[in-house]
Amino acid sequence: MLKALSRIVAAAALLGLAQVAAAQGQLTILWAQWDPANYLQELVKDYEKQTGTKVVVETTPWPDFQNKAFKEFTAKGSAYDMVVGDSQWLGAGSTGGHYVELTEFFKKNKVAEVMAPATVAGYAEYPGKSGKYWAIPLEGDATGFSYRKDWFEDPKEKAAFKAKYGYELDVPKTWKELGDIAEFFHRPKEKRYGISVYTDNSYDALAMGIENVIFSYGGDLGDYATYKVGGIINSKENIEALKFYKRLYGYTPPDWGKTFFQEANQGITEGLVAMSMNFFAFFPALANPTTNKYAKVTGYFASPKGPTGKQFAALGGQGISVVSYSKNKEQSMKFLEWFIREDVQKKWADLGGYTCNAAILKSDAFRKATPYNEAFYQSMFMVKDFWAVPEYAELLTAANKRWHSFVVGGKGTADEAANGLAKDWEATFKKYGRAK
Amino acid sequence: MAIVQSSLSRWWNRGAIALVLVLLVIMMIPLYWIGSTAFKARADTTTVPPTVFFKPEITPFIKLFTSRVQERGEPDKAAYAKAPWWEKQVMDGGDRFIKDAKGNIESSGYVSRFVNSIVIAVTSTFLAVALGTLTAYGFSRFRMPGEDDWLFFILSTRMLPPVVVAIPMFLMYRAVGLVDTHVGLIILYTAFNLSFSVWLMKGFIDEIPKEYEEAALVDGYTRMEAFFKIVLPQATTGIAATAVFCFITAWNEYAFALMMTNKNAQTAPPYIPSQLGSGLTDWTVIAAGSLLFLIPVALFTFFLRDHLLRGVTFGAIRR
Amino acid sequence: MSQPALTGSTQSAVPAQSDAGRGMSDLAIRNWFIIPTIVFLIVFNIFPLLYSLGYSFTDYRASMNDPVRFVGLQNYRELLEDEYVWANFVLTAKYVIMSVAGQVVVGFGAALLLNRSIPAKGVLTTLLMLPMMMCMAVVGLFWQLLYNPSWGIVNYVFFTEGKVWLSDPDVALLAIAITDIWMWAPFVMLLSLAGLSAIPPSLYEAAAIDRASRWFVFRHITLPLVAPLLLIAVIFRTMEAFKTFDIAFVMASMDETELVAIKLYKMAFQEWQTGRSCALAYIVLLAVLAITNVYVKYLNRLKAR
Repeated sequence: MLKALSRIVAAAALLGLAQVAAAQGQLTILWAQWDPANYLQELVKDYEKQTGTKVVVETTPWPDFQNKAFKEFTAKGSAYDMVVGDSQWLGAGSTGGHYVELTEFFKKNKVAEVMAPATVAGYAEYPGKSGKYWAIPLEGDATGFSYRKDWFEDPKEKAAFKAKYGYELDVPKTWKELGDIAEFFHRPKEKRYGISVYTDNSYDALAMGIENVIFSYGGDLGDYATYKVGGIINSKENIEALKFYKRLYGYTPPDWGKTFFQEANQGITEGLVAMSMNFFAFFPALANPTTNKYAKVTGYFASPKGPTGKQFAALGGQGISVVSYSKNKEQSMKFLEWFIREDVQKKWADLGGYTCNAAILKSDAFRKATPYNEAFYQSMFMVKDFWAVPEYAELLTAANKRWHSFVVGGKGTADEAANGLAKDWEATFKKYGRAK
Repeated sequence: MAIVQSSLSRWWNRGAIALVLVLLVIMMIPLYWIGSTAFKARADTTTVPPTVFFKPEITPFIKLFTSRVQERGEPDKAAYAKAPWWEKQVMDGGDRFIKDAKGNIESSGYVSRFVNSIVIAVTSTFLAVALGTLTAYGFSRFRMPGEDDWLFFILSTRMLPPVVVAIPMFLMYRAVGLVDTHVGLIILYTAFNLSFSVWLMKGFIDEIPKEYEEAALVDGYTRMEAFFKIVLPQATTGIAATAVFCFITAWNEYAFALMMTNKNAQTAPPYIPSQLGSGLTDWTVIAAGSLLFLIPVALFTFFLRDHLLRGVTFGAIRR
Repeated sequence: MSQPALTGSTQSAVPAQSDAGRGMSDLAIRNWFIIPTIVFLIVFNIFPLLYSLGYSFTDYRASMNDPVRFVGLQNYRELLEDEYVWANFVLTAKYVIMSVAGQVVVGFGAALLLNRSIPAKGVLTTLLMLPMMMCMAVVGLFWQLLYNPSWGIVNYVFFTEGKVWLSDPDVALLAIAITDIWMWAPFVMLLSLAGLSAIPPSLYEAAAIDRASRWFVFRHITLPLVAPLLLIAVIFRTMEAFKTFDIAFVMASMDETELVAIKLYKMAFQEWQTGRSCALAYIVLLAVLAITNVYVKYLNRLKAR
């Protein structure tokens, strides 16, 4: 039996070697495992048809995506030629020497003019406003809302709403209106709840949800240039925003303390909530009548305005970078040149990828292509991101701890949470020598 | 148990059996849920309130083996009309197949990962049990200087969370070229399981009275012959239990499989939750994948069940 | 020749030559049986252990190519002074006790119930072991579904309508422990059953003749004879419980459920504070070593009796 076993192992090893040999002469892109990666795999078949170079999109589940990518970087490995990294990785990727600088590429191909400006700032440029570019915006994304049109358009509901709040029930234009609507539809006895918001603490979901409100309330996460956070992260506006988010959490279904994109969508598909906050990347599932029985009555809107009229959407999405340890850097550049062509970007949008090409985003064809594209188009011009410094994850962990504890755990006050966070962040920046 | 069963002890017996059945039902409910999810239509998986009775379908299994992508709206009518019944079912679920240039459906890679799992788990279990038994016998029958420390060292190899040794392990493997190879994972799992197998086998071998080997030695057997002919047969329960646990550990191992492998040698556990990226998790496919994945290990245990329950039956001489 | 065993020891004095001079000597067998394993484990584990030990004295971050600075015991000091880290440890200890105690009660209890002639005992045992055979990541995912009050069945099974499990700070840890117990009680059950099956019926018969009470039989015959294997089960489950990551990470993300392994993961692979996470890992390792040491000493004492 041992002999048979060793033969199996040897055969498998040979197979492995053969596959490695075949991998030369092909480009490998690493991304997370989700639908846009599938769409990308479909798109790159065209590249193979046109140039003969095979492109393989390797995927790994989201929770382990960063892990895998950075382990390969640490080992200076050449397993991946390109990586479609999160916008927050720009800091580590650029200063760590893992990404190839694309500033020349940008100038040569006028990428900054072709892509929407907010996407260039968010997905490509690091440090902020430096003019140095490290990635091509590939998949645009922002937070938006889905909602139950049928509940909103029901005449009885409209009448009751007008009676209680004094204005028409419609897509909320401000966060205050959104709060009112959530309160109005929150009926636990009927198993109907007002809203679903992000609360997952294990990575960046909660932070994305809250920063939406913070930015729109006129607050900020700090001065991105001087790294000053005292007085900014715990400003009056931020504390108001925190309190508001906690109020929204009160209108969510039971056991909603660890929700990210799936639960957010399930809130709608199972008919639980009136509105649901989610990244646009996950809306295709809602538009599909077979996966969402309420698809036909599901509408979408962009993040509403804050009390002072400011309007922002939290930035999601990724840009594609060339790995500096890759053995196929030239070919990767050629691929990127192909990718930013307008016809390819159009096909990318048709397949389901969220292009960042400004012209396509503005075009009627795109905006009418799906029920959510209009809201997406609006959002992409008002996106704002979290910190992209290499130590962003420590900032995130501290924010998650303070904010989750207050919003979901119900501990302490908003002031305590905000002030505690300011101290945490100051300590972190001091540790990395950024703040004086 | 008692030779003569009084009616009281018969009642105890019946009570015990009843309790076992109750326990069985409670333990099985979550498994039943996972199993039934593997046969549900996608829309039935997370309904409010939960769906207990439903019309079963095998669409999840079709989806498990094929490469798919989510539709963003209604399926293409022309393609729908042309599709065979199983493709229609998948399209009804909101997906479409990814087809290669020639129009053949691309496989999802589940089968190859399943096969990888079998190869890696079987080999590493065999190695871990074999080495472990030998080592356990050595520690059990012979005095070794610093024995307690060695045993404790062996135990300690299992104490660190994989997270911590991940990076150096990864670098080590890269340097030797073992990343994403079957051999690499086999070595890793063997090392990981050795501590358990040594300790468990020592526990069992300690229970086997030395007198039998000594009698055999007196009769002219060599130590080796005594080991193979006397000790091993009596240790079958221990070997069976150790094999089962080592196999289960290697079979279900997730962290290192995810870190150390990509396409070539990846086992099934990192692959099964891969459905989580879509906007609406397809729990049916995850359940189907898990259900199929459960079968080999359940069969393995089932075939060994008699050995597991045998116990050391020679009770004449006890310590 | 080797001395007959008078006490509990099953060891022969080494070295000894086998009489006829055939076959390998005892010393050779001992070495050939033991040394390959030890060498293998040392070689395999020594590099990663030394490497991470080295990291723990630096401010290394695996995501950057910065020059690595030696910081001595700073990481350890900072961690031991951090109140959050201590809270984490206490929480993990609570979890380990809850989980292992539950596994022992359910597992050992099940083994006691099964230790009689029952029809289809083999099938029953295999079925009871199924939870252990599932992949941990999948178990966490599905139990998260099961605990949800809207679309999960736990509230129906326990008749606790509308109870929130995983988002409730007070109950979340217990919920995770229940899942852990569900999954691993079969482990304890199987080992206990193997131990119980090994107890010779003659002992029970003798006790029955002497009209010993059930409790007496249990305390003086059953328990001592099954203790070694049960203790091995407890040692391994304790070690694994300290390392619990998959289920807890997937199911809940409250402060009250942040086990040490989760903190380690976040520190090492989200924040990329590689040096610091290695320091924390070594602190955890020392704690686990200390606890396991206690168990092992107890086990050795049991065996010597």
